[in-house]
Amino acid sequence: MTTTIPTTAEAVPVGPGLSMFDPIFIGIDEFGQPVYLDVIYRNLLTAGEPGGGKSGLINNICGHAALCDNTRLVLFDAKLVELGPWRDLADAFIGPDIDQGIDVLRRLLVVATNRYAWLLANRRRKLADGDGMSVIVTIIDELAMFSTVLGTKAQQEEFSTLLRGLVSLGRACGMPVVAATQRPSWDIIPASLRDLFGYRAAFRCTSLNSSNIILGQGWAEQGYTASDISPTNQGAAYLLAEGGVPRRIKAAYLTDTDIYNIADYAAWTRRPTISTPTVNPTEWEMAA
Amino acid sequence: MSKSSPRRFAGRSTGTVTVIEAKVHRSSARNARMAFILTAVIVGLLAAVVAASSIHPILAVIVGALIGVPTGGLVWLLVRIWPVIRLLWWWTPETILGVVLLTAWVQLANHTPTVVTLIVVALVVGVPAAIRPVRRQVVAWGWCLVVRHRLRVCFAQFIIANQSGSLPLILWARPTPVGERVWVYLRPGLSAKDLEGRLDKIAVTCHASTVLIERASENNAAYLRFDIKRREVLTAHVGSPLVDVIDPTAPVSASPLTVPTALDLPDIDMPTVTLPTQGKPAGKKPAATTTANGSKPAASSASSVEDDDTSDWI
Repeated sequence: MTTTIPTTAEAVPVGPGLSMFDPIFIGIDEFGQPVYLDVIYRNLLTAGEPGGGKSGLINNICGHAALCDNTRLVLFDAKLVELGPWRDLADAFIGPDIDQGIDVLRRLLVVATNRYAWLLANRRRKLADGDGMSVIVTIIDELAMFSTVLGTKAQQEEFSTLLRGLVSLGRACGMPVVAATQRPSWDIIPASLRDLFGYRAAFRCTSLNSSNIILGQGWAEQGYTASDISPTNQGAAYLLAEGGVPRRIKAAYLTDTDIYNIADYAAWTRRPTISTPTVNPTEWEMAA
Repeated sequence: MSKSSPRRFAGRSTGTVTVIEAKVHRSSARNARMAFILTAVIVGLLAAVVAASSIHPILAVIVGALIGVPTGGLVWLLVRIWPVIRLLWWWTPETILGVVLLTAWVQLANHTPTVVTLIVVALVVGVPAAIRPVRRQVVAWGWCLVVRHRLRVCFAQFIIANQSGSLPLILWARPTPVGERVWVYLRPGLSAKDLEGRLDKIAVTCHASTVLIERASENNAAYLRFDIKRREVLTAHVGSPLVDVIDPTAPVSASPLTVPTALDLPDIDMPTVTLPTQGKPAGKKPAATTTANGSKPAASSASSVEDDDTSDWI
């Protein structure tokens, strides 16, 4: 992680004291009430047509995670610009490079396996807030790029397989996955991978079938279809999370300036202290 | 209003207006008769048994009859006028509000000169009307009163309940940012599933956009919550609280990026087809010599657009 920080900062950065174990504010529901999401023990899949507001939701979660204490970010964004502002905060930022993505996923799987060994040794089944272990949030924008476009067929399959491993393992060891794609049908994402995501957010779709693919079979017939969202109402979605019934939400919107401001502030609070320049950066990494 | 048998109810009771439906009226008469007999018999017997311990049994029977019959009569009366009591109960908030306002107006008019009366009225009415949040609150609570009656109309008019015609208990209502939320306790004969198919009709009756039904209790299927929506909040702009917890003057932190300069299609070489005249005319291409990916500049020999198009189709 290379950051260019001016040596003369006027103020002292104070972390906002957020935690990934806190519910994350993502917007309001149709009654104007705030909607919070517990991502820590769940995996979230957001989907919908381009321009629906997926990236807005992802940036909310990313912004929260960036401001959290003891939280690491692993970002995949083949489009670069959606998650790019957070690249200096992230432990890994993968652009359109599937080889690098596969390497990072392998590392994450090793970490997950090691954490389960640690949990077993400590007679536990799930990571908790007081364990002091970092939460590693993996956020993937445009998942279809990695599973269908970039690299060879074998690489795409390996990526999907590794991601399935991470999604199925990461839940209890503090390594949640948030993924966004446009249409998570079986030819783009294996159904076995898609069904592992417990939370779903369906932004505007053009057909009942597309909405059903995101939320699960049968919801459109009961009236919960993302095809009835107005195309001009960006950020409106159906969220299937706690409660078991999809509910209409409007995701909070962060402007580009907001995103960069949050990213700058988060980088500032996460930096190694400048007043002790003698400390080797590797020691900081070890301490972290 | 009962139209089917106006003579029977309105005719007998000398010009009174029938406010109870015929079905409810009949059911009420039957219930009242049953209640009279049961109460009179049970109370009479109990009274007789108790009285028999101190007086002669025949006298005790007479005492029992004297106590049982009037008690039965009281119960008969109560059951008979129950539909009217229920109707009064439905309109209790409006009645109380009306009485209070009217009394206040009369008292004010009697005790103050006209000018003062008018000023007070202007203040009481004008200030809430002028201040937007207060006005909204008043209107919202007004809708809460209205919507309870509209829901009752739904149940009475097109939602078939049970044989005795009893309506669900419409409990309290309170405003929400998008409309009202009303709690309803269903009577036997209805379920949330029955109502889900009629949500559009309920919305029409309540003069609303949509209506949602949710169970208000995990343990009791009869206890429901009606969400009546009149306004759409999902089109609003929603800000994030994260913006408030940061300091926007934080120093900019951005690792240097290698920015490619090949930002237009002609800047990128075609990977497979290598034709000598590919690319746009040189005049249209800015800074061809500075392409970051090492792409060769477009051939300056490309004389015309026609040549270009032809080569693309080959």
